[in-house]
Amino acid sequence: MKDKTDVLQGTLALMVLKTLDVLGPLHGYGIARRIEQISGDLLSVNQGTLYPLLLKLEQEGSIASEWGASENNRKARFYSLTRAGRKQLHAETQGWQQTASIIDRFLTAKAGDFS
Amino acid sequence: MKSLRRFLRRAFALSRSREEDRLSREIEDHLGHQTAENIRSGMSPEEARRQAILKFGAIEATREAWRDQRSLPFFETLLSDTRLALRRLRNAPAFTFTAILTLALAIGATTAIFTLVYAVALKSLAVANPDQLLRLGKESRCCYWGGYSQAGEFSIVSYDLYKYLRDHTHGFSELAAFQAGGSGFGARRSGTSDPAHPYPGEFVSGNYFRMFGVNAYAGRLLVPSDDQPHSAPVAVMSYRLWQERYGSDPSVIGSIFDLNNKPVAIVGIAPPGFFGDKLRDASPDFFVPLNQAPYLEPANSLNEISTHWLDLIGRIQPGIRSQSVEASMRVALKQWLRSHWSEMTANERTEFDHQTLFLMPGGSGITSMRDQYNHWLEILMLVTALVLLIACANIANLLLVRAIQHRRQISLSMALGARPARLVRQTLTESLLLAISGGIAGLVVAFFSTHLILQFVFPRIPGLAAIPIDASPSLPVLLFAFGVSMLTGIGFGIVPAWLATRIDPIEALRGANRAIGDRATLPRQSLVVFQAALSLVLLSASGLLFAALHHLEHLDLGFDADRRTVVNIDAKLAGYQPDQLTRLYRRIRESLASVPGVAAVGIGDYSPMNGNNWSSAIAAEGRPAPGPNDNSFASVDRVTPGFLEAIGNPIVSGRSISERDTDSSPLAAVVNQAFAAQFFPHQNAIGRHFGIHGPGSEHEYEIVGIARNARYVTYGLDRPVAPFYFRPEAQHDRDPQTGFPEVDPTHYLHDIVITSQPGAHVSETQIRKALAKVDPNLPVIAVFSLSYQISSHFRQQRLIARLTSFFGLLSLALCCIGLYGVTAYNATQRTAEIGIRMALGADRAEILQLVFRGAVLLVGLGLLAGLPLAWASGSFLGKQLYGTDPHNLWVISIAVAALSLSAAIAALLPALRASSISPLDALRSE
Repeated sequence: MKDKTDVLQGTLALMVLKTLDVLGPLHGYGIARRIEQISGDLLSVNQGTLYPLLLKLEQEGSIASEWGASENNRKARFYSLTRAGRKQLHAETQGWQQTASIIDRFLTAKAGDFS
Repeated sequence: MKSLRRFLRRAFALSRSREEDRLSREIEDHLGHQTAENIRSGMSPEEARRQAILKFGAIEATREAWRDQRSLPFFETLLSDTRLALRRLRNAPAFTFTAILTLALAIGATTAIFTLVYAVALKSLAVANPDQLLRLGKESRCCYWGGYSQAGEFSIVSYDLYKYLRDHTHGFSELAAFQAGGSGFGARRSGTSDPAHPYPGEFVSGNYFRMFGVNAYAGRLLVPSDDQPHSAPVAVMSYRLWQERYGSDPSVIGSIFDLNNKPVAIVGIAPPGFFGDKLRDASPDFFVPLNQAPYLEPANSLNEISTHWLDLIGRIQPGIRSQSVEASMRVALKQWLRSHWSEMTANERTEFDHQTLFLMPGGSGITSMRDQYNHWLEILMLVTALVLLIACANIANLLLVRAIQHRRQISLSMALGARPARLVRQTLTESLLLAISGGIAGLVVAFFSTHLILQFVFPRIPGLAAIPIDASPSLPVLLFAFGVSMLTGIGFGIVPAWLATRIDPIEALRGANRAIGDRATLPRQSLVVFQAALSLVLLSASGLLFAALHHLEHLDLGFDADRRTVVNIDAKLAGYQPDQLTRLYRRIRESLASVPGVAAVGIGDYSPMNGNNWSSAIAAEGRPAPGPNDNSFASVDRVTPGFLEAIGNPIVSGRSISERDTDSSPLAAVVNQAFAAQFFPHQNAIGRHFGIHGPGSEHEYEIVGIARNARYVTYGLDRPVAPFYFRPEAQHDRDPQTGFPEVDPTHYLHDIVITSQPGAHVSETQIRKALAKVDPNLPVIAVFSLSYQISSHFRQQRLIARLTSFFGLLSLALCCIGLYGVTAYNATQRTAEIGIRMALGADRAEILQLVFRGAVLLVGLGLLAGLPLAWASGSFLGKQLYGTDPHNLWVISIAVAALSLSAAIAALLPALRASSISPLDALRSE
């Protein structure tokens, strides 16, 4: 169980960064919604776990946050990507793609490929 | 970089707790969005909200994760635990006050003793790189030693031997020599009319300051060229004297001072804080080159090749091992001894092979004070440690009671999911907080008690330097106090903390009073047993010390201390030459005898029990020469006619020292009974002869009288009086080779003893006036009664006895409080049982017995455990008991009785209360 959440934590951060990169400043609910839409039911995380992660990313300087008015005119906390966050996203995307392609090649390889 | 930024942000967040509602608002916002979304998809508003919350997950868990993320959870918890602990302690002021007071006393006492231990045993000299210093000798010897052999090791050297070792030892960058004893100088600024004032001084080699690596505060310090036979007389003054007596007057430097009436130029001021080469109660105020000794002190040992009076400290060259320096110095010693083969006695030649020397770390200087005080500091350190343990046990007991009171609260927290580790932390935070507050209060206690102890043991003589021990806490002392506080906090906090988590929440919440009660009883009872055992040890130790003190104070000293006044003088300080002394002393005696109320006057090198001692090996007529291991030593005093009479030391046969003993008459001596019995057994010693210059000198002295045994020296009080003899002041020893009169320092007598007539009072003013009539420049160093001199010798013993008994009583009180608490608590726990028993017909006496029995059992166990320890403590006290029985059954019985009686009272009170309860009330209590 614990291992799974650890993996999720790492990927979740990447998802948050990508979401903010694509959609621009968003509040917490918006981010959660977007991740849910894209990943479907595959990722059924508690929405609550998002908030400690947002705080961590903010402390690390990848994202920034400020109070603003949401669409229904409520006061909401909006998160946006910083320049450092964009760099991080870039680096982590590359890393992720590399890992994914290696794993992919590994998993699709047949016995004869290794001879 | 990223983690550093995060850490800083989190640390910063510690101070901002308002941030907390940011999350609440975000969550509220989030749930609002989700609810609206759900409503849009057709749910009822209640259902929509419910689903939103479900989807969000555990809000409290999120909050906690967020909080952990936001700042540093460890410190956050620490802060909140501290706040909680402070609140709890504020709510129990009586408990807090008692605990902190107990701790302050215990930690304060331990810290005070540690301050002394640190200063006396561990602290380095105020010099550069003390770790590079090596000193000669495993033990320090004072002040003179004659001959070419020393027992065990050569630890004190003559000037000639110093020069030889300095020039033939490899590996020292400097090797300095200085007086093993001290010198007093009568000092005054030249050209002023002030009388000379006595100040402590020291003869040191010219490289003394260079070896220590200290620099002058003003002017210059001594250099080797000052220490040549024909150098101009110079001296260095202490910073203290310069500042206190001369107001830091710069004109002192370069000016001429009269030391012992001889002009000496002051070339500079030693640095502040420099207290010389050893810790002592009055540090030297004048440092004078060794080669000025003949100029300033008529009777000195500078050029006596086999009189050893110098201590050595050297600075080792970098990269050289101390063993190789030691080896090189041993060779040099043997070479030197070999070169004096012809002057050695037969015994010294047989001892030649055993002569060796040792080099020890010298950073603490000459540790004579350590040798002197180590054992009593050890005793006090152990005593205070025991008190600290007892105090810890008591506070642990109080905390246990509190833990029982808090058990409902704790079970509630546990039922709500608090982790046990967290609860242990909370309780520990509380006890550490108590311990640290106690430690801070303890530092104050320590400061004042160190001050008191210092004043008591080393009373400052006005005008002289105080002992360089600072009562205010230094860094090591602060660290020590902090360490002790933390240890005690953990020590008394860990058991209650552990027990607190061993609650079964369900049972505790159900309200059954016995859930934790039963489990906590065992540790609480063991604590009482432990306390009783330690108290017994402390009580019997203080009893033994008091018995020893009583023994000392009522020792038959063999002379009369009443109506005797001692006047310290030093004619050397006024520049008297040896041939003027006899006349001076006669005039002093005549002048004092004419003072109304004076019955007798005598002058001696030292009065009984003033701490001084001279001794020499005796060659007795008609006895074979003593072998190297025979104890042939006898102590000696040099006295004027009338001294023995003034002291009240009766002559049992023959005559006393009288006016007949002049420099032209044969050398006479009065010996004590022990001397006669040892050297002339089974015969009449009167008319027999003995000598002090080794074999061949047996006919030097004729015994003219035998005095009753009396205690003149301050050691060996636990043994029979040792051989002692008295020499007339007016007679000089003859050099065995040349036959010329010898000048030795004992001719400068130090103590006038004045006996007043019964009922008469002779005032200090009268005495000073009578002395001023003889010579207004003669320094009178001090005037006090002989009984004061004797009792001040027991000051140390009295202090230890008093401190130990104070701590003993304190521990007794703590133990009784502990016992009272346990008994009262048990009685309350058993209220219902008592009610049932009474309802079934038990009478009050039975109930009383029931409650009382438990307490008696605990104390009984404590006594059993404590008895062997108390027995052992007697052996540990050892020589501090001055030969009194270390396993004094009386003392141990009294300690047992005192403990039992106080414990009985402490247990009886709650037992009485329990037995007086009405059965109805008792039954209703649950």
